[in-house]
Amino acid sequence: MLTRREFHSRLLAALAVTAVPAAAAAGGGLYLNRLTFGARSGEEVADPVAWLEDQLAMPAADDGLTARLAAARLRIAYAAGKDQNGQSWPARDEVRPLTTLTADPAELLYCIDWEQGMDFAERARPADEVIAASLIRAVHAPAQLREVMTQFWHDHFNVNAHKDEFCAAFFAGHDAALRENALGNFGVLLAETARSPAMLYYLNNADSRASPANENYARELLELHTLGAANYMNDRYDDWQSMPKGPDGVALGYMDLDVYEVARAFTGWSVADGRYVTEGVNAARTGRFGYIEAWHDPYQKRILGVEFAPYGGPMQDGERVLRMLARHPGTARFVCTKIARRLLADEPDARLVGDLAAVFLTAADAPDQIAQVIRALVLHPSFAATTPQKLRRPFEFLAALYRATGAEVTGTENAFQWQLMRAGWRQHEFGPPTGHPDTADKWVGASALNRVVDLGLYAHDDWFGVASVDFTAQPEETVGGFMSRWAARLGGVADWAAAAGVDPMAAMSDLSDDERKGLASGAIAMAALTPQFLLR
Amino acid sequence: MGEPILVVVFLRGGADGLGLVCPASDENLIAARPEDLRVLRHGDGAGRQIAQEVADVDFRFHPNLGPLADLYDAGDLSLIHASGLTEATRSHFDAEARIERGLFGVTPPGDPSGWIGRWLAAANPGGPMPALAVGTQQPASLLGSGAAVSEALGDLMVAGGHWLAPALRARLAAGFGDHGPLATPVAGLLHLSEMIGKRLWSEADQALLTYAPAVPYPENPLTPSLMTVAQTIKQDMGLRVATVDFGSWDTHVAQSGVFAEMAGWLAGSVMAFWRDLGPLQQDVSVVVMSEFGRRLRSNTAGGTDHGRGNVMFVLGPQARGGRMVGRWPGLAHEALEEAADLAVVTDYRAVLAEVLTGHMRLADGGRVFPGFDAAPLGLWG
Repeated sequence: MLTRREFHSRLLAALAVTAVPAAAAAGGGLYLNRLTFGARSGEEVADPVAWLEDQLAMPAADDGLTARLAAARLRIAYAAGKDQNGQSWPARDEVRPLTTLTADPAELLYCIDWEQGMDFAERARPADEVIAASLIRAVHAPAQLREVMTQFWHDHFNVNAHKDEFCAAFFAGHDAALRENALGNFGVLLAETARSPAMLYYLNNADSRASPANENYARELLELHTLGAANYMNDRYDDWQSMPKGPDGVALGYMDLDVYEVARAFTGWSVADGRYVTEGVNAARTGRFGYIEAWHDPYQKRILGVEFAPYGGPMQDGERVLRMLARHPGTARFVCTKIARRLLADEPDARLVGDLAAVFLTAADAPDQIAQVIRALVLHPSFAATTPQKLRRPFEFLAALYRATGAEVTGTENAFQWQLMRAGWRQHEFGPPTGHPDTADKWVGASALNRVVDLGLYAHDDWFGVASVDFTAQPEETVGGFMSRWAARLGGVADWAAAAGVDPMAAMSDLSDDERKGLASGAIAMAALTPQFLLR
Repeated sequence: MGEPILVVVFLRGGADGLGLVCPASDENLIAARPEDLRVLRHGDGAGRQIAQEVADVDFRFHPNLGPLADLYDAGDLSLIHASGLTEATRSHFDAEARIERGLFGVTPPGDPSGWIGRWLAAANPGGPMPALAVGTQQPASLLGSGAAVSEALGDLMVAGGHWLAPALRARLAAGFGDHGPLATPVAGLLHLSEMIGKRLWSEADQALLTYAPAVPYPENPLTPSLMTVAQTIKQDMGLRVATVDFGSWDTHVAQSGVFAEMAGWLAGSVMAFWRDLGPLQQDVSVVVMSEFGRRLRSNTAGGTDHGRGNVMFVLGPQARGGRMVGRWPGLAHEALEEAADLAVVTDYRAVLAEVLTGHMRLADGGRVFPGFDAAPLGLWG
């Protein structure tokens, strides 16, 4: 173990920066653009370092946000129907509060109980509630950096909440675990996701038992959650003996043999959903992680060149794998590359990533490991020196629009999701386990880009049923003044009005509600569809 | 006869080739899988037999691939089994990246192009829309192509029908000049928008003209994509290559039901697309491929894990269609790759290179697959 003094000196060496001047040079605007879902109108950061510390320390819970989520409503509508067991249900079309977000998972087992007749929309409802809440949180949560990182971890530990009713039922727990640990310790976060029922269903580990084991989770654990594809060396080495090893004897990369063995280590990691285990034995019904000893392959294993003795005890194989992976230098590099890619640049500087990986490894046991990495990133000279180049992806663009205009996001419909999907974004229902891509080239296909144009044009109509803005004109306001006021909220000007056939000197008092909304939406779209707003 | 056109349908997730075109009589297969994960030779659910002697094995199409069996019997479809990537990877993303880049053995690495992108660079076809990726994100095969990426042609009209359209288009045209990641894409979108506007926008209706196919298509997730391709071909926009991503074939659990459904969608939509083309069929080749096949032995959850060798389909006018091409290595233990999977004995590049030279009339396949040189499979004689 390191002493506290050694820990700090190594941390400072890893940072290798004169922190405060770099931060001051960065300026608050960069902080708001990169570390939040976008600046609110008029929002400024006077003291960037203090602001950053405040954001890093801010807890997930917030009374104001809790009140907003309690007040939110989401529509559910379906026709009358009946199932194969002859059970029937009436048609419904109603708006309901988001009741499942904080429910105990045991209360949500009805979603996966096909003895009970109900429309599938009821079974999938918990997923829809998390999706509705995600936009409210992105726009209104005070702990913005935590929200940004929660979204990051959602893509890193991707689960498609609408894959089936199993993933849907327990998705809120997955979401909460990511948010709780978004700035915490990576090993803890990894262990949470390995026990997350939504993840266990999504990557099929819930059904994995000896033998042969189901390899789906094991492969993505190595390739997507920890070591990354750069450390997949299957075609470079013929056997595990020839794979190079670190000073601790752990192989530096992995191959298919490791995938098979990791899959064996996680056999029996399942969900206590009442499932059949063996004759006369069923799992408990808690809706939480459940270990099934009878399904576990207990014999010796060799993972990343390390011998695992047989009969290691309940869950010991899996937990040891997670510990090895969480402090592996390959994981440090992969995760830090992705964090830097998320917050700063599509292709982050290799030296920056090296510095962050050193912080990641040094702080492997710290409860604020991820916060330390982010602090090192933001205070790094590269942060201020990098010109804005990150494209706001569709969900981020929508949230940034609403933050800039001061829209109140209250829900009632998830229709925004449909428009986001056409732009390539599937909030909490991205199919492949990679999560959404995070480089601009993946988001600038012609039709995807055109849907972003549409988001700019229509986000403030009521089409999406999520947000409301007060477009009342001020007394004596002219059309030009009104449009400029809305453009200014996004840092733009409405100097184009006359060219678009609008008389800027006309009086606002003569216009209808729809006409006012149309003018404001136009001013917002023209200011939003600019490099200054699209790139952060 | 017009310029030749290539359509690549990519089955994402690793489609189970042993279930699509099944060596139904193979004893190793019968021992390794339950009945619902192979094709049966007798009874109601039996698959159509391939009327060709291949290594004394009774190959059969999945029962839901009837339309593909029809195309095969008509001599329009070839099968290349035990094909794929010669690099041993069982990672989706690694395998897809390697297949779509198609640069195995190229040193130094670092060429960021995809194989279709390199074909476009070599052929330089011109025209308003030489390449189209149907979907929201460009596949790696089209890297370096500047392809249009869209699910439907109408999706490319910028602010269609909006009062701000002219002002917005002007601002987009002027505002992104020197801003890196957006300059080219925004200019490309505006160009496509103008072209679509001229061809498909009805001023009278203030709406896009809808596409009326020549034949009905089945309703499924693949149909809209293939209809977009058919429409683009018929709109005479100079389309030379289109990519379509289809499915989530990653069937680790309870494979048989969902696999059967997707197989039916694939065959039904491809057949409708083919009939919709009518006389334009003579210009079009369709390649159906996936990143890898699946494990010979099923797992304990009624699914199959990632494997290696797979089947590829080539549909279109060809010299000797209606055949299974390439060697069949068998499923005996000693023939398996790493003792687990159907081996890859035909490099997928052999198939694509021959489509490019035989159908697309490319003189030198080496420009698309540098360093790759293999005897032709004989698809085009």
